[in-house]
Amino acid sequence: MEYLSADKILVVDLTTSEVTEDELSDELVEQKIGGAAINKYLYEQYEADNPVVVGTGLLTGTLFPASGAAVMTAKSPVTGNLCHCPITLKVGLEIQFAGFDYIVIKGASDNPVFLWVHDGIADITDALDVWGKNTWETTDTWRKAMGDDLIQTMVIGKAGEAGSDLAQVCLNYWASGDRFGFGKLFGEKKLKGLAFRGMGLLEIADAEEFVDQALEILDDIREGDFIGKKGIGDIYAAMGQSGVNAWLEPLVHRHSACYNTPYATNTFVYLDEDPATLKETANEEPGFLITELYGLLGFKALGLSADDACRMLKICAKGGYDAAAVAHQAKAAGKTSMGDIESALADFSGAGPMHGKGVFSPWCPNQPLFSFFEEAEEDPGGWWERRQAVAYIFGIHPIFAVMSPELVEDDMLEMAGVGTELSIEPEKLNAAVAYLYK
Amino acid sequence: MGIKIDALKCTGCMACEMACGYHRDDGFALLASCIVAYRTREKKDYFGVIVKEEDELLIARPEGLEVKKLGASEEPSEPAQKADASAKPMLLREACDMCEDMEVGPMCVKFCPVNAISPA
Repeated sequence: MEYLSADKILVVDLTTSEVTEDELSDELVEQKIGGAAINKYLYEQYEADNPVVVGTGLLTGTLFPASGAAVMTAKSPVTGNLCHCPITLKVGLEIQFAGFDYIVIKGASDNPVFLWVHDGIADITDALDVWGKNTWETTDTWRKAMGDDLIQTMVIGKAGEAGSDLAQVCLNYWASGDRFGFGKLFGEKKLKGLAFRGMGLLEIADAEEFVDQALEILDDIREGDFIGKKGIGDIYAAMGQSGVNAWLEPLVHRHSACYNTPYATNTFVYLDEDPATLKETANEEPGFLITELYGLLGFKALGLSADDACRMLKICAKGGYDAAAVAHQAKAAGKTSMGDIESALADFSGAGPMHGKGVFSPWCPNQPLFSFFEEAEEDPGGWWERRQAVAYIFGIHPIFAVMSPELVEDDMLEMAGVGTELSIEPEKLNAAVAYLYK
Repeated sequence: MGIKIDALKCTGCMACEMACGYHRDDGFALLASCIVAYRTREKKDYFGVIVKEEDELLIARPEGLEVKKLGASEEPSEPAQKADASAKPMLLREACDMCEDMEVGPMCVKFCPVNAISPA
């Protein structure tokens, strides 16, 4: 595919250490559009080898508002279902510019490895030196080894290596939308993680028209009901969890956004530094970036202080544990202190709290945030599934998708056409969404 | 005439950087942007924006704005040096031209979703 694309699908066989490339055909994009739907198509091509597929949405990494998400697709070792998780922060962006639209990782390695993807080159690289290290140490090791602090990683910790049901693939140092135990799958493959860096360029079929329309949509979004809100505290308030914001506020340092996302969905808390500090601190690890809602909520429900709850999030992310699942299992086991929960991490098993049909990550709240969506009034469950499916196909941030009714399917379809010169009609989107539930 | 940046409003989304890259390359890319989000201190949550102007670097940091004259004997401050790690160094990038060929004016101003960037 010529536009909005690197025009390459990477297939990595961890069993044989072979790496091959295919072109991304216009026909496949016209049929499945992108993101989760093409991920699923590729999964089915290589199903016998239990693949993990990482792919970008059709609009990922563009100036279309909230186009910061990529998607990871695999059969969950916890639920047994084929499902999809968002890849956010700046990781989805980096995947888009590292030279491949889709990456299929099949088979399993005998020895620990990681996949280093950079400027259209992919190397299966030895990871023995970081096997046993936590996610923070691993990301630091890879960035230092490659001499680039902007390398973006998808990485597992002890949980994934040990085969825990609660294992999560983390993004750099932080929790991710992997709520389906994909970290366990990485561990089974002896895959410590993936590292991305790229300086690619996405050509646009009608660049001027694309950017003009993106700006018009952004101008509409600027009038949205979420304006004036930011961070996870305000999201909790919109979810009806009004006590969380005040509980967390004394620790809040700053809020930040995923790539090109108008709402700052991430909140950094300082745990070992004054949160009001503006100058760069000498402390290398002063706190934690909260990127996931349900872990913190679960720890609060157990009675932990905000400080302990955030420290627990940090422990989970370093170990590569899904914090929401940890809080869920801790409650079931009657563990209500930070020390008891940390001591029991290796003993927990089973899934975390879920909502929806189990196709899309329950990382995203299943309700409108800040805004009114007419369809959500009539069929809340169906609205959420559709909203997520469309976001996962185009590469839109899933949480922003449930707070901005200004983002409409017709605009995404039109922008896809303007950007690619391909014919992508509403019927094709309906078919792609339906395909995700087959 | 230039732009000004409120680093405390900035959420580090990089829309400005991509908008500038589009202006330079007529495609989506980051290598030629003259406005760059610096984000190498990820574990510290220390981020801001650097702009390459004709004669100076504009460094918008959380604690305030710093202007460094280009060509002065003094070295650029560390945030400027580390802004883009292995990418194209700021000093080798073209200076901001305020998107003089764009009808809508500076693209970074237009695409900043939180109005952290404005004409000076």
